[in-house]
Amino acid sequence: MRYVGKKAVVFSMAITAALLAVVGAVFAILSREQDKEKILRFGMIAGSYWDVPTGSCYEVVDGAIRRFEEAHPGVRVEYDSGILKEDYPEWLAEQILLGTEPDVFMIPEGELDILVSLGALKDLDPLIEKDGTFHSDTYYEGAYAYGNIRDAQYALPYESVPTLMFVNKTLLQKEKIPLPGADWTWDDLLSICRKVTKDTDGDGVIDQFGCFDYGWQEAVDSSGAFLFEKDGSAAYLTDPKVEAGVKFVRDLNSVNEGYVVTAREFDQGKVAFRPFAFSEYRTYKPYPWRIKKYSDFEWDCVKLPSGPDGQGQVKLDTLLMGIGSRTRQEQLAWEFIKTLCYEEETQLHLLEASQGMPVQRSAVQSPLLRQVLGNDIPGNGDMDVEVIRQVMEEAVAAPNFRLYPSAMALADGEISRIISGEMSMDSGLLKLQREMNGLLRP
Amino acid sequence: MSRERVFTSLQQAAYILNLAAVCLVAGSMAYSIQAVVDAMEAEAFLELVRVRPWKPQTMLATALICYLCLVFLSCLGQLWEHKRRALRNTVMVLEMLFCIGATVAMNMDYNGLVLLVVADMVRGQKGSKQKVVLGVAIVGLYTIVNHNLTGAYFNMIPWEQFLTAYGASTQAFLRGTLSVFSSMNLVLFILYMTMLIQGEYRERERIQNLNDQLEEANQKLKEYAAEAEKNAEMRERNRLAREIHDTLGHALTGIVAGIDASLTMLDIAPEAAKQQLMKIGEVARQGITDVRRSVSKLRPDALEKFDLERAVTKLLEDTSAASGAEITFDHQVTPLKFHEDEEEAIYRVVQEATTNAIRHGHATKIHIAISKVGQWLTITVKDNGTGCGAVEEGFGLKHMQERLELLNGSLSYDGRDGFWIEARIPIRWGEEYG
Repeated sequence: MRYVGKKAVVFSMAITAALLAVVGAVFAILSREQDKEKILRFGMIAGSYWDVPTGSCYEVVDGAIRRFEEAHPGVRVEYDSGILKEDYPEWLAEQILLGTEPDVFMIPEGELDILVSLGALKDLDPLIEKDGTFHSDTYYEGAYAYGNIRDAQYALPYESVPTLMFVNKTLLQKEKIPLPGADWTWDDLLSICRKVTKDTDGDGVIDQFGCFDYGWQEAVDSSGAFLFEKDGSAAYLTDPKVEAGVKFVRDLNSVNEGYVVTAREFDQGKVAFRPFAFSEYRTYKPYPWRIKKYSDFEWDCVKLPSGPDGQGQVKLDTLLMGIGSRTRQEQLAWEFIKTLCYEEETQLHLLEASQGMPVQRSAVQSPLLRQVLGNDIPGNGDMDVEVIRQVMEEAVAAPNFRLYPSAMALADGEISRIISGEMSMDSGLLKLQREMNGLLRP
Repeated sequence: MSRERVFTSLQQAAYILNLAAVCLVAGSMAYSIQAVVDAMEAEAFLELVRVRPWKPQTMLATALICYLCLVFLSCLGQLWEHKRRALRNTVMVLEMLFCIGATVAMNMDYNGLVLLVVADMVRGQKGSKQKVVLGVAIVGLYTIVNHNLTGAYFNMIPWEQFLTAYGASTQAFLRGTLSVFSSMNLVLFILYMTMLIQGEYRERERIQNLNDQLEEANQKLKEYAAEAEKNAEMRERNRLAREIHDTLGHALTGIVAGIDASLTMLDIAPEAAKQQLMKIGEVARQGITDVRRSVSKLRPDALEKFDLERAVTKLLEDTSAASGAEITFDHQVTPLKFHEDEEEAIYRVVQEATTNAIRHGHATKIHIAISKVGQWLTITVKDNGTGCGAVEEGFGLKHMQERLELLNGSLSYDGRDGFWIEARIPIRWGEEYG
């Protein structure tokens, strides 16, 4: 028994087929490749990733692109210039929503986890496995591990910035205190601070200080403690090492007798120590920035002091790059990301033209490091490049799970109250641990 | 409006309505992505939904193409209604896949397409076994395309999230429109189903009517057959009467008349009486021949044409071929040649017993043996049929028994394990008629 007449059915079919043809044709035209030349798109941040003044942010990338294009004839690399660091996450999100994300792109700070959970990044492990020329052990562990999440390598490090300890050499000389060595400890720092903290002009107010900006995070890191499980599934805030670090910072602050040291005093040369990003060191140490900032006194950088069981480790700030999971040129994208993040020439170029530190050991160990840090110029400081190499070697990767920033904000707030004495150490840390468990619970 | 017209308009309305709904849902999703980007809220949007949606144009194209393919297949399924079942099932499965494809492209946010597929499935289903498959398929399909179930599991973005890209009034308009589409789709579906069920009901009624007519015709046919049988019996009786009248009556009349004449002549002319008696003998013999001829007309046709062995063999072959039962015939008596009445009895016993075995016992294997012990000929028929506890003596057995008693034979049987029947006949070996 037929319900609908044959004629009507055929009529519906004809209309449907016609509509199908139209939709198919429109879609085919829309998604047609525009160019015969192979184009690889690259997403990058303009200006300095490290928030320091920079002259030529495209120099290293342009050099790498030139070499890549020479090695791969018929391939062109394109990038949108002028996207600033603060606009970059939005730009990238827009590209992802529109399905036009670049083949290779810089990963905005702390967004690796989100990008991975969105499925926007390609798992690099199969590519790494296939590529016989790629050896992950040439990277500094702390930099390489930052691109590893959920047991897979989703990104490669491009450059890193470790934290160093800024030392006001003039101040120490005046107080006849020798420059600390690579193996100095919390106790050394504390005793130096106690020595230098004083009232120099006799007005009854302390006007010379030991330390500025040294927080509990630096202390905890340098004692080798881990605050979180790598995947953010657990926090260890009641660990004795954490307690020791917080206690140390409290002691350090108590030296100032309640006076809050500011950046102004530091700039005026009234502070002996301050944790200092390598990027700032790299910017302000050589000419021309050398004469614009911190020019009233001699200064240099040393390693951070070690905690009781630690070696003065620091967290490494690392700029990552990844491959878009929807790239149509997986192999080319891999070759390009290797040109940027693995090739020694690019990494050496970084040393010269960027404020970060290369992530490849070979680049850091090249004689070029000494040259670019201006150590060859007489009288221009004499920081041992070995210190930087050692710091890089010992540095650990910052956790990269999604909730890390909020977890750190929570911890910072609570621990500040402990340090300021609003709350007792034991109950404060316990309360924090409880709140942290609530935050991290899946 | 004819039923066909109603069906056609319902279906086309459903096609168009769903096309509009697909355009609305997929289109609003695709466009909302552009709106989010234009408002520079891409990062916040991704942070909120935590899932990367498809490319806007891919979303729209996939939903539309899958939907159009679904409609095309739905039409094809109607054109191919009478094709092979495998072909129809393939179309149905493809239809389901396209339904899932379109719904997935719409982030499982519109599941009205399932109704189209369900309507097609219900229309196409035949037989009660398919009803189970149909039920499972419908439940499965609904589960797959349900946003709350699978959507959450597969990280689908709810339509509501896309809507946040629009202003409040646009949101309300879009929501309202989709809600109207969904309701109308449901109404169309219910109407369509009602028509379908009504149609089926009418079809069933028609079949019932036809059945009744057939039953009536059958009854009439049976009556005709009974009448015809009665007529045949009557005819046969008349023929027999005529035959007896013509043969026996004629001969006996002649004999009586002749004997009367002989009695009169016996004393006067013994010689003539003797002549007369000889003539009477002639007449009596002629009578016997006539009677024989008459009786032979009542004999089974096969026996008339062949000897007993071939007749029985042929009978068994025919029965075997007609019923599919396996019949074995074992006889150790050669040659199988007896008096006509004996042969006929043997033939009838074999015929009746095999017929009973097949008709009442539903036997698939029947063994027949004919053996001779002294003067007795024994016919055994054994089958593997259902048998029967207490044997109810019907016309067949009774008739057999009577036939055998005429020959001084006997019949015994047992129905506890299959059916076993044994007929014994004393054979008049070598005896001849006068």
